[in-house]
Amino acid sequence: MTALSPLSVTLLVAVTVGLAAAILAWRERPEPGATWLAVLLAGQVWWATFLVFELEATTLPAKALWYDVQWVGVVAVPVGWLFFALAYTGYDRYVTPFSVALVSVLPAATVAVAAAGDPGNLLAADRVVRETAVGTFLDVVPGPLYYVIAGYTYLLGAVGSIPLIQLIRDDARPFRGQSAALLVGTAAPWAGSVAYISGAIPIPGLDPTPLVFGVSGVAYLLALSRFRLLTLAPAPRRRARQLVFEQLHDPVFVVGTEGLLVDLNESAAETFGVDRREAIGQPASAVVPKYDAVRELDESGDDKPRAIRVVGRDGQRPYEATIRDVVDDHDRTTARVITFHDVGAYLGQQQRLNVLNRVFRHDVRTETNLIQGYAEQLRSDPTDERALSIIEESAERMLELSERTRSAGELFDPTEESESAPLTAAVDAAVAEARAVAPDARVEVGRVAAVPVPVVLEVVLGNLCTNAVGHNEADAPWMRIDTAVADGWVEVTVADDGPGIDPAEYDVLDRGTETPLRHGSGIGLWIVKWGVDHLGGRISFDEREPSGTVVTVCVPVDRSETPVADSDGEPPDPPLGDSAQTDEAGSLGPPPNAGR
Amino acid sequence: MANEPTRPSAPDGTTAQYRSHTTPPEVGRLRQIAAFAAGAPFTALVAAVEVAVVTVALGVPLSTAPVAVGLVAFAVYAADHVADAEGDASSTPLRARIALRYGDQLMVVAAMSYGLAVALAAGAGPAALALVLVPGTVWIGYATDWIPAAGDRLEPLGDRVGPLGEVSLPRLKDVFLLNSAAVALAWAVAVVAAPLAFAGVPVDSVGTHAVGLLFAYVSVRSFVDVEVPNVRDVAADAAQGVATLPVAYGVTGTRRVLFAVDAVAAGLLAATAATGVASPPALAALGVGLAVSVTVTALADRLDGAALGVAPDCSYLVAGAVLLAL
Repeated sequence: MTALSPLSVTLLVAVTVGLAAAILAWRERPEPGATWLAVLLAGQVWWATFLVFELEATTLPAKALWYDVQWVGVVAVPVGWLFFALAYTGYDRYVTPFSVALVSVLPAATVAVAAAGDPGNLLAADRVVRETAVGTFLDVVPGPLYYVIAGYTYLLGAVGSIPLIQLIRDDARPFRGQSAALLVGTAAPWAGSVAYISGAIPIPGLDPTPLVFGVSGVAYLLALSRFRLLTLAPAPRRRARQLVFEQLHDPVFVVGTEGLLVDLNESAAETFGVDRREAIGQPASAVVPKYDAVRELDESGDDKPRAIRVVGRDGQRPYEATIRDVVDDHDRTTARVITFHDVGAYLGQQQRLNVLNRVFRHDVRTETNLIQGYAEQLRSDPTDERALSIIEESAERMLELSERTRSAGELFDPTEESESAPLTAAVDAAVAEARAVAPDARVEVGRVAAVPVPVVLEVVLGNLCTNAVGHNEADAPWMRIDTAVADGWVEVTVADDGPGIDPAEYDVLDRGTETPLRHGSGIGLWIVKWGVDHLGGRISFDEREPSGTVVTVCVPVDRSETPVADSDGEPPDPPLGDSAQTDEAGSLGPPPNAGR
Repeated sequence: MANEPTRPSAPDGTTAQYRSHTTPPEVGRLRQIAAFAAGAPFTALVAAVEVAVVTVALGVPLSTAPVAVGLVAFAVYAADHVADAEGDASSTPLRARIALRYGDQLMVVAAMSYGLAVALAAGAGPAALALVLVPGTVWIGYATDWIPAAGDRLEPLGDRVGPLGEVSLPRLKDVFLLNSAAVALAWAVAVVAAPLAFAGVPVDSVGTHAVGLLFAYVSVRSFVDVEVPNVRDVAADAAQGVATLPVAYGVTGTRRVLFAVDAVAAGLLAATAATGVASPPALAALGVGLAVSVTVTALADRLDGAALGVAPDCSYLVAGAVLLAL
């Protein structure tokens, strides 16, 4: 065995570390970028190996052969680098068979030219063997294709470096270390290449690029073992962040500084029935529900969260809107992120807790006191029939209260599947309940459309009808039910000729909270309100002439039938005449008859 | 080659099989190192010595071949032990523990040693490079699942796989005799071709006959070295339905067959000597190694598991020592 030249030994060191790094990279597949890093390193090893053969060869044809073989490695390096950088930093959508094929056209053509014996001297205009102090080189005068592929290599190298340079400024230390090691590993051979092409190397024919592959091999090895290059790649971060935005349950809108919509997530599009492609670029006020109200809320700086009612896919729901500024590196606000958080379930629970607490502390206590008092009286006069009947009535009311409390609990059981029933069945059931309470009542039922409605509506109507005839002292109480359906909404009106509801009762419902001094009586109206809220609908109370009350309940037809905005972004026209729209109505289609 | 006892007995009389693997008993550092050394490093040493002996026997100039083949053997075995660490937990628990605990470090060392072997081969020329790249190419094929059923990569080849022995054949382990023969052939290719390729000596200049005879000799000797440890594993192999000589013919029958094969090896050695090309001291050394092998075969059922794992390969170490002495 003849002794190797010092240059060959240097190259073999590069082969050793390069191949070791390539094996370790290959072993990490399918981690993002592993295959392409292996390609890059294999290219370097190939180049260095056949340069050794070239250096050790003694004749011009032999040197020229090994020189041509090196091209496979030379062109593989930039392709491997580009796709490694893209895959590793999470831009894997640019790493497709098509893009790989496209990027590989010129490298493949170069290899083909070299394999064909360099026809027309495209790669090398001239080749001579040159004896120098450090060895005998094949001194190649570059041909036109040589400069083309060299420029192409620098281009791919630069493009691949961009995402990695971004990582250097990353907050996470491991990624900074990784990208620094990678850039060193890449910059070293480039420096060698630039020195060669610019003629800065005094030894003719010596391209130092493969010589510094040893440096880059060590850098890659360090990155792989010390900085866990491929096992801790930043690639999933981009997708994960995107996924969080897309899959977030809460609707999110991104509004640019000029008030134009920049982005919105899937939930926003679905919940508020927005066409994503059309919405982006539109003024936020035309797409984001209650945009002005949300902005006012934000500008007022009121820390206390306030719910905004918006009509969307699930009917009308209360949302808590938060606005966050998107700030760039120079502390400039570039956009604002508006998040809508549905607080309906939370508010409902809070109300139920509040009301049930009152029922227990006030209503049950009052009845118990009553029973206690009249029981005392019965003790002194066991023949007091009135005391007995009062006790019986009181006990009856407590039993009813207990029943209604139970039905309220069942109504909102989150584990229950929401079922639907025909509206006719719901009305029939409610009328039957009313007749059971007041057999003498005159009940009129208008035309009822056979649309599917959630079964919860049955409970709501049952409570309304029994209230209408139950609290009516007349001999033959009168009551009438009318229904109307339009644009996915069902409107049910229950009218009676009773004494009317104390305004204080529905004031409390409107406010949504009770206080020890201001509270409703019983639980029936609350069940109606919770039921309607639960369905994403609304309820209104009106006085009737000459006496009585008209209660109007408006709910979406069925969960599967979404009331959405028209294609022009306008809300659907209210189906019914009485549609005084208040500030509570959403921009995406108000329920008809917004009422009081 | 390179084995630990399958079920090392502990002072308390229990065996690894009956002790929890999740909380293994504390083992002395020395035993751990010994267990590790008996694995890939021992294989690498044997491979290197074998190549060195063959180099002398062929009379070709000493090259980096023994080092390169040793490095490749180390890389292949170390990587395999890391990959199969979980599966080896019952047969070679100590080595498996080291492989599990230091898997990443072992892989870095294995990759470096393969890289160095390739670099040495590149320095020796294209033929040597091509020879050394074979196991790497097979490994890439295996790792990318190009070859179906490659999961049985080394398993089917039994304990002994030469540096070029990662021949991926599905369920080769089930094919009687072919399993050992494939390993022996791969081993012989590496041991005989490497000295020529690294020294840049064409086969013709040494003599096709001598090279062929030596190749045949190393093949049959390697076959014996693969089959002898099977005597130890006869119960386990029979339970798994793996066909080996001891399973098919019993220990006594196996011994007879292996003696016959060793006799063939002796004949091949004599024929090689008759060509007059091979170096007499090397042939003498190989003869001593053959004698050691016959002794080991004779004692096959009396040696314990640990000794039987390494004893056949020690014949090459003895041959190397004799060669140095001569």
